[in-house]
Amino acid sequence: MTNPRLEPMFHASGPSPAFEHIGETQRFAGPRAEISRDRNLAWWRRIMPVLKSHRLTFIGAISFSFVSLIFQTLVPKILMSAIERLTPGHHQPIHDIVVAVLIIGLLAGVAGYLSRRFLFTTAYNVESDLRNLMYEHLTWLSFSFYDRVQSGQLISRANSDIRSVQMYFTFAPQIIVQCGIGVIAFGFMLSINVTLALIAMITMPIMYVVGIKMRQVMFPISWIIQARLAEVAAIVDENINGVRVVKSFAQEASEINRLADASEKVAWAYTKDADIRGQWAPWVQNLPQLGLALVLFFGGWMVTLGHAPIGAIVAFNAYLLMLQAPFMMLGQLVMMGQRARASAERIFEILDEQPEITERPGAVDLLDVQGEVVFDHVRFGYAEGADILQDFHVTIRAGESVALVGRTGSGKSTVARLVARFYDVRDGSILIDNHDVRDVTLPSLRSNVGLVLDEPFLFSVSIRENISYGQADATLDQIISAAKAANAHGFIEQLPDGYDTVVGERGYTLSGGQRQRIAIARTLLVNPPILILDDATSAIDVHVEAEIHEALEALLEHRTTLVIAHRISTIALAKRVILLEDGRVVAEGTHDELLASIPLYAEVLAQTTSENL
Amino acid sequence: MAWGGGWGGGPGMGGQHPGATGGTGLPFGGIPQELMDGVKKIVANEPSHPPATLSFQQLPSEAESRRLTLGRMVRSHTGLFAFASLLVVLISVASQAGPALVGYAIDHGMQPGHHSMRVIAICSIAYLSAALVASLFQRWQASVSGRLASRVMYDLRIKVFTHFQRLSLDFFTEEKAGVLMSRMTSDIENLQQLLQDGLAQFAMQGLTMIIIIIALFSTNVVLATWTVLLVIPILVVLTIWFHISSEKGYLRARDAIANVLADLSESLYGIRVVTANNRQRHNIIHHRNVVGEYRNANMFTGQIMSVYGPVTIMVGILSQALLLGIGGQMVLRGELSLGGLTLFILYLNRFFQPIQLLVQQYNLLQQGRSSIIRLRELLAISPSVNEVPNAITLPPITGRLTFEDVSFGYIPGRPVLEHVNLEIAPGESVAFVGPTGAGKSTLAKLATRFYDPTAGRVLVDGVDLTTVTMHSLRSQLGVVPQEPFLFSGTVRVNLRFGRPGATDADIDEAVDVVGLRDLIDRLPNGLDTVVHERGQTLSAGERQLLALARAFLARPRVLVLDEATSSLDLRSETIIERALDRMLEGRTAILIAHRLTTAQRADRIVVVDQGGIVEVGSHQELVQAQGIYAGMYEAWIASGGRDTSL
Repeated sequence: MTNPRLEPMFHASGPSPAFEHIGETQRFAGPRAEISRDRNLAWWRRIMPVLKSHRLTFIGAISFSFVSLIFQTLVPKILMSAIERLTPGHHQPIHDIVVAVLIIGLLAGVAGYLSRRFLFTTAYNVESDLRNLMYEHLTWLSFSFYDRVQSGQLISRANSDIRSVQMYFTFAPQIIVQCGIGVIAFGFMLSINVTLALIAMITMPIMYVVGIKMRQVMFPISWIIQARLAEVAAIVDENINGVRVVKSFAQEASEINRLADASEKVAWAYTKDADIRGQWAPWVQNLPQLGLALVLFFGGWMVTLGHAPIGAIVAFNAYLLMLQAPFMMLGQLVMMGQRARASAERIFEILDEQPEITERPGAVDLLDVQGEVVFDHVRFGYAEGADILQDFHVTIRAGESVALVGRTGSGKSTVARLVARFYDVRDGSILIDNHDVRDVTLPSLRSNVGLVLDEPFLFSVSIRENISYGQADATLDQIISAAKAANAHGFIEQLPDGYDTVVGERGYTLSGGQRQRIAIARTLLVNPPILILDDATSAIDVHVEAEIHEALEALLEHRTTLVIAHRISTIALAKRVILLEDGRVVAEGTHDELLASIPLYAEVLAQTTSENL
Repeated sequence: MAWGGGWGGGPGMGGQHPGATGGTGLPFGGIPQELMDGVKKIVANEPSHPPATLSFQQLPSEAESRRLTLGRMVRSHTGLFAFASLLVVLISVASQAGPALVGYAIDHGMQPGHHSMRVIAICSIAYLSAALVASLFQRWQASVSGRLASRVMYDLRIKVFTHFQRLSLDFFTEEKAGVLMSRMTSDIENLQQLLQDGLAQFAMQGLTMIIIIIALFSTNVVLATWTVLLVIPILVVLTIWFHISSEKGYLRARDAIANVLADLSESLYGIRVVTANNRQRHNIIHHRNVVGEYRNANMFTGQIMSVYGPVTIMVGILSQALLLGIGGQMVLRGELSLGGLTLFILYLNRFFQPIQLLVQQYNLLQQGRSSIIRLRELLAISPSVNEVPNAITLPPITGRLTFEDVSFGYIPGRPVLEHVNLEIAPGESVAFVGPTGAGKSTLAKLATRFYDPTAGRVLVDGVDLTTVTMHSLRSQLGVVPQEPFLFSGTVRVNLRFGRPGATDADIDEAVDVVGLRDLIDRLPNGLDTVVHERGQTLSAGERQLLALARAFLARPRVLVLDEATSSLDLRSETIIERALDRMLEGRTAILIAHRLTTAQRADRIVVVDQGGIVEVGSHQELVQAQGIYAGMYEAWIASGGRDTSL
């Protein structure tokens, strides 16, 4: 089986395949590497390939960071020698030292700039890669995946989880370099005075341990806070979505009190958090001061004994100040690591998901379609659910129009989703012009099967772009004629910017009927030989529908059409009607024949029609 | 399935974006098992909080409607704020004692020939004490600031939420739910962070710099002047540049990430259309471009940080060099002690630390600032449907509804209703029928004052709706919307929603009247069964029955059923139609119906079309009149509709 995942990643910028229309030029390169597919690897090793694809900037960042820090560590040592020369009894000029420090300062600045520049470049490139990898992977996943996951969850993963992984991978190396510098600084201190160096450093391990301990103590309370914030969010969410209910029962006060109770619990948790933090954080912050006090005492003592120069105290002060940050961050590194790991695992969960619908090796393009569709004893059900269709056997001749009628839940819409192979059948097969849909390439199949769904989803771009969604290079004339066929041209022209009017989020600035007409135009533009209308006109007023039907009838003339409908007027578009009950075909014939002979048909129609009067 | 369990997992990021998944459900799945012990220990000490007893007024008081500022928010907790400020000053002073003590010890304890272990010991102990005092103060300060921040945020949550409750329905249809969520979640949490840590940190850093400058001047005015002249102007210029350009970068990055997320979200919600149209490759390229713009925006900010951070480090080292040069000469000339020079160098080192921290925390400040601006904008929106000052309390009504020459449009210049006149007698039930978009629902929304008419008046018992308080009006009305919304909680809580004081006997009655008994018996815990997020555990019909029972329990004088039966299967519809007879008894009712079976139950049928009332009469009368209704009825019968009027 070929994996459709790799291919788009590396060839998306190449020539567009015959069945796809790409209307945008790529201005930014895609990811150069993927995460490792080996699920047994440690989480950070799985991401390594992505980081490796940016190794030049990454190595640059680390090296310059190292250089800059080396320069910075040199300064206290030089200061010490300057103070020595200034000590009463020595009194020597220090011009050369001043010049040396000036040069070191400049070099440290330049190296620091370069290191950050490279670091940010790496960080943001890794983030972009992860975002693109995630998006590209999600794009190729099958409908069955989207049936069982919440899109909101995916978005939050794609956002905050990628962020936390990115942060770890860019700042962890930096902190490690800084700690490495700590070793060098410690070396310098040892070279000045061994005893004093050991005394000065005594607080550092304590700080590290206390820091870790603090985070352990903080962890439960931060979870409590998160849980309680989620409760507040849930109440707000309910009040936004249920605003009509709250208002119509005049329950504002009780909802405010419900929120107040939840907020009170949040406030308590935050106060508790501050108390716990207050018990630990000051010690972590002031331990270095303890170290400095010790240096003053023991250092002073050694100065009086003549074992150490006065400058040593200055140098040690500077070194300890320099070491404070990385040691504090080391604890943070552990925490960031835990977060990043959890985030990475959630990202992998998505990236490891395999598309269920894939092309067979050697799949051929479906060309010159006549339009015969055969459901050959199809059995089908969603995920692990019960069968929705059983022994569903229907032949639709090329150019024929067929209506599928049945109660809610009888499997009508499922049939519509099988033809374009959004799901695979459990048994039997679906054949288009005698080709099993599983034997042909997906783009060629889908460009031959036009599907208008009952929930017309529009994108928040212009109407023009929405109509040309399936064929981005369509001309305005083509777009207008598709719109005319769907009886959408009239209302589009009346919009403030006509075809360039940008529709609001998910098209909600338009009425349901208008959205459906645009969705129909979108499908008609592609001009597929096989057309499936899944309840596509349900929100359109009856008299408008009649006008669409005139246009549609002409369009359906030489097209295989499957209409899933409730309204008699819509059913009338089809020459033949198939009655579906519990996933099986129970009757077929013309509308009049079924109405006359099948009581179930009349019953189903009565129910569904009254819903839509 | 392995997948199932994992999805619940909470945000490992510590949930910095609890609002990110707002519209789709809880972002938080639960506390991980290994932390449960710690969590239990903490929660065990939690006092029980008395339930809140806040009241709601549609019209905000003058104090409530003042512009939102950080100062005003803090003002109601002046005591805590003053204490926190005092502690901040004390901490800053105590933390900066070190270099002065080191300088003193060098001059008075370590000079060749003048060694004094006593001075050194005293200075060391003083140093240690200062550190201990600073720790103690910091501990208090953390608690006090934490308390202050959580109280202020509590106030703010209530304030914003109360404002939500005041706003009219049109606001909620126009604004995206996700945007509103983030006002109440991430924006308030940004401010919490800013207030808890950020402000104190900023204050301390600013104070530290001032204290250091004072210490320098009191040691040696000449050298201090040199230092200040060399360092401050460069830093000021740099910081202003940083402030201006990072502001620009922040806005750019914010817009760019919004685009990335919008593109992602649209692609996911529309994935079926994407797949059906073979758009994957196009979208991938588009996403690469959008992500690329986001990367560039980040790089812009990155560039600013790459310059500002290292340059301040560089200025720090260079100024040390110059200080050494000038100060060194002064020492050699005997104008400055060695301890004095040390003090200068050590303080200068510390002078640059706050700046580095400032860079790290700058984001916090920016986020907090834009959050407060967004909240301010939200709070400045006034409800389009509002009470007049001194609105009267509507006395118990009989339920006479009058539409007096009512015109209305959602968008100016596009009237939905024009010159509608209608009188509904107390206890009468009226069905509104007509094509989609004719204005049926709008009439109902005017009757419940979700909107105000653009011209004309709506009266109840002869009183103009706009002159009465919202609460007194709505507590006498009941609405059953097309999409029954259930709150998460038990069935009982949901039923009681409209009348929190309802007794169990009341609930039982409502259950029986509506025909819910079967369902309740089937549920695992009966009335105490928890219905989940938006009632997805129940079928549409069952939810609708619950919504009807909820409305029944509220005992409204006027009942509005807005297409309440349109999404039901035959079985539930039959049950509900039976229930309707009981529910409409002695009540004024407006039924908006798609199904003519429902309409036939009403005393009168009003046909609404093209923004006006075109026919009024009983079912029989209208059928005989051979008008629009008769046509609709005919079509419906022809398609197999049941005639229940007989």
